[in-house]
Amino acid sequence: MNPIDQNPNRLENVLKEALRRQDAPENFAADVLARIDQKSTESEPQHSWMSIFSRPALRWAACAAVFICLTLGGIHYRHVQRERAKGEAAKQQLMLALRIAGSKLQLAKERVNDINAARPQSQPESRTPRSRS
Amino acid sequence: MAMAALPVADRDRAIAGMDFADIVRHYQSMVFSIARHFLGDTSSAEELAQDVFLQLHSALDGLESGEHVKFWLRKVTAHRCIDHRRRRRPRQVSLEDAPEPTSPENAGDPLLARRLRQYVASLPEKPRLVTILRYQEDMLPEDIAEVLAMPVATVKSHLQRSLAMLREKVSRTMGEVAL
Repeated sequence: MNPIDQNPNRLENVLKEALRRQDAPENFAADVLARIDQKSTESEPQHSWMSIFSRPALRWAACAAVFICLTLGGIHYRHVQRERAKGEAAKQQLMLALRIAGSKLQLAKERVNDINAARPQSQPESRTPRSRS
Repeated sequence: MAMAALPVADRDRAIAGMDFADIVRHYQSMVFSIARHFLGDTSSAEELAQDVFLQLHSALDGLESGEHVKFWLRKVTAHRCIDHRRRRRPRQVSLEDAPEPTSPENAGDPLLARRLRQYVASLPEKPRLVTILRYQEDMLPEDIAEVLAMPVATVKSHLQRSLAMLREKVSRTMGEVAL
């Protein structure tokens, strides 16, 4: 007996009376069973499609196919990564070569400019005596 | 209730001998009444009770005895009632919509009982559920606490407050009735 039952009062008795269990509507159980049947019928097409995996051989074949696909995918991915790394290295080498060639060209251009800058001063002196003679 | 805590007699009361239709017939009044008293609406209660039994059909393999099924049904019904109420706006229960007792010859004071059902339906969700499980199902606070996953002290507090609230409402509207 819990404390409430040890000290019953009128309110609790009336509450028990008021909240007494009620009968479920007629055909309640039949309606529940009909809904279960309907639910299982609706889910049947999905079940038949999935049932192909219930055969052990097909299950193993599906697992093997997934494994092969993953392996081939991994190999292909590594190959692509390697090719990309090679391309990147070649690009770096080309950029270095272009930078060296650029600096050499710049050096040559500066030399030519220096030579050109020195030439106009020496030419008039060497030509004048020849024209006079 | 954990299966290990059940008395041996209850654990031995297997449900294997019953087909699903028998189980529905055996517990339909319990599930329907909890939902009916909580929601205050017959059609919603019927729909909710059917949903509970559909869920039971899927979960039946994991249940080991009649006591386990009963515990499971009370728990799922209680949680579905709260979910249902939170999804929809609370409705006012009219006097006409208040449930009728199944055996009127035993009803002491039909008007008072009807009023009380209305007042119970107006309680907040958790206290309402605690009150229904206590007085409809005659459950102990410890069992209610397990079903609703709340401390026993909280269940007792809900019960005390609900009783005080109901007593006050009844006294206010039906002052001549001594409770």
